[in-house]
Amino acid sequence: MFTLIKLIQSLFGALHSEGTPGQLAAGIVLGAFLGLTPLFNLHNAVVFALLVLLNVSFAGGLLGWALFVPVGFLLDPLFDWIGHSLLLAPSLRGLWTSMYNMPIVPLTNFNNTVVLGSLVFALLAAVPLFLLLRWAVARYRVTVGERVRQSRFYKALTASKVYNVYKLFRP
Amino acid sequence: MSERLRIFRWRAIGPLLVLFVIGAVLWWLFADTIARHESQKVGTQMLGARVEIEHLHLDIANGKVLVRGLTIASPHEAFKNLLQADELVADLDVVPLTEKKLIINRVAANGLRFGTPRQTDGRVATSGDGIAGRVLAETREWASQFQIPVLQLASGKISVDSLDPRRLSTIPAAEALSARADSSRRAWQTAFDTLRLGPTLDSASATLERLRHARATDLAALNEARQAIDRLKRAQGRVTALDRGVKTGVADLQAGLAGLDSARRRDYAFARSLLKLPSLDAPQIGAALFGPGAIKPFERVLYYAQLARRYMPPGLLPRATTGPRRVRRAGEDVRFPKERALPAFLLRSAELSFLPQRYAGHLTGLTSDPALYGRPTVFGATGPQLAAGAMLNHVRAIPVDTAGATLGGITLPAFEVPGVPLRLDPGAATTQLAFALSGDTIRARFAIRSTNVRWTRDSGFAKSTIGNLIWQAVSGISNLDVESRLSGPLHHPDLAVRSNLDQAIASRLRAVLGEQVAAAEKEQRDRVDALINDKVGPVRARVNDVQTQAQAQVAQQRARLDELQKQLEQRLRELTRIRLP
Repeated sequence: MFTLIKLIQSLFGALHSEGTPGQLAAGIVLGAFLGLTPLFNLHNAVVFALLVLLNVSFAGGLLGWALFVPVGFLLDPLFDWIGHSLLLAPSLRGLWTSMYNMPIVPLTNFNNTVVLGSLVFALLAAVPLFLLLRWAVARYRVTVGERVRQSRFYKALTASKVYNVYKLFRP
Repeated sequence: MSERLRIFRWRAIGPLLVLFVIGAVLWWLFADTIARHESQKVGTQMLGARVEIEHLHLDIANGKVLVRGLTIASPHEAFKNLLQADELVADLDVVPLTEKKLIINRVAANGLRFGTPRQTDGRVATSGDGIAGRVLAETREWASQFQIPVLQLASGKISVDSLDPRRLSTIPAAEALSARADSSRRAWQTAFDTLRLGPTLDSASATLERLRHARATDLAALNEARQAIDRLKRAQGRVTALDRGVKTGVADLQAGLAGLDSARRRDYAFARSLLKLPSLDAPQIGAALFGPGAIKPFERVLYYAQLARRYMPPGLLPRATTGPRRVRRAGEDVRFPKERALPAFLLRSAELSFLPQRYAGHLTGLTSDPALYGRPTVFGATGPQLAAGAMLNHVRAIPVDTAGATLGGITLPAFEVPGVPLRLDPGAATTQLAFALSGDTIRARFAIRSTNVRWTRDSGFAKSTIGNLIWQAVSGISNLDVESRLSGPLHHPDLAVRSNLDQAIASRLRAVLGEQVAAAEKEQRDRVDALINDKVGPVRARVNDVQTQAQAQVAQQRARLDELQKQLEQRLRELTRIRLP
């Protein structure tokens, strides 16, 4: 329940934050990387560091993560297929062999079909997702955003303590 | 003018560093626990049996790993361990760890024990998942292919099971042959009709009639006769072609009839297999008595050999294995070995010390990429009455796995002899195992020798005549010499089991049961004949009828063509003979 409330708070907090639609969309896209790919991998440490260090919406990142975890589970068979096709493609064998025998790179688990498939999928989806989200957030703010901001529900939501924690990381 | 958008959130560097420090502290605190859990998880997944570690300490700075209380459960037996080790100390190469490669220079293992009992079932590969599960399922299926004859001696009765006509192969074969005969008859008739010999013969007869009344100067009649002869020759050619087809078809039908005889022999064998007969052949008795126990060692060695082939494949091609278990789909890990690079896993050398301490062993060159390491994996162990060795040579394209062991002075557990309520206690025995798997060809031998076996018999067995005979045959034998051999292609090898008891039991049985067995077999053959003769007889007659009819038709038409051609040629010669005045 707490997670759900936190998610709703994150959603509305992010939508009504002072950040630009681009910042919010970029945060959600980085969060999508965390959700779509298996979490405990080296590339996700880089994604997390980017989410913290870049001036993007951190709440958007958490939101993207929460939203895309179930999507990742659902698309795992597709990721497996993509990864399998790429890793066993004869034309790419030289590339993978070099990467596999380099220091550090093998620690990313790129040679796992699901890891590689989901990462490639996330990379390909990142730009379209960013553009779509930026447009959607901008449309939201100019249409129903102000009415939601004035609603009692929103005021109750933003009054809770969790929101205060979120404000520490707002863009 | 609006404020310029900043790209970096510099104030987040502090919290990120704090997070990094927290992560480092957590690693320092829990690295051993994490490594222990991961080692247990990976080991269990790889071997198909639970791997338990009491204590593990990582000393990355000095490249050392200390493991205490290692237990590996048996993948084949529920409450038995494969091995236990008191302590293992491993020296690692640290630098290859950055390439996710585990290179162990040396392992010292102390206090190794085998086959110790355990409280819980340690098997995990029973579901057939993962590499170990699949290999276990494959080797089980492989072991189940051996048909071990069942010895029924206790009652000495010969029972006859019901014979289901649907399971006989002769009846469907006869029906198929009958259909083929009908089809051939129709095909030949059609081919015969399309020859259209009638008009050719009629025309030639008419020409012959005209030629009989013609003179030598009647050139038109002579030409007509020559054309008729040509037509007859062409018709002969068509008949010859048809004759060839008929001969081929007849040979096919004859082969079908021979096939019916083969099917009948198979049905006899099938009917005989339904008889619950005590076997009278010595090799069969050996297989019945010791076959089930003899297959197990082969099955187990094959399991580990096949597991080694999966984890240590020859060659340098990319290879996929099941990925690590996680909440998300595991996927597959694809490895990309590279020439002149380090293998993903290599144990250069291991010194093994067993309990009791007079036994010792060594292992060298255990690697995931034998082609990169370039040398085979070699294992050896020695001790009082123990000599064991194994070599896994996966360096070249065709892997060769060999193993051999001789272990003396071990007390084997007493066991019930299958099919006979006799209990055999081998006492202190010597066991020998030799195993060679070269590519897909297997040669293996397992032998047990004991000089002080003891026999006990079931009380119910005493009332049986056969039982008494068997008891008399074996109770005086104090030596046991069992040998099983396996040879041939891996997917279908031949198993031969012999023992020094075979001949003794066989001769006793033959004396008592020989006539009964022969009578029961004859009865089963008669039952098969009764079921299939009604079907086979008419089909045989039909086939003979069809082929006789076709051959007669062809011969008759050919004779008519020949006769007409001969008459025309003779008349033509008479007319064209030059008569000098």
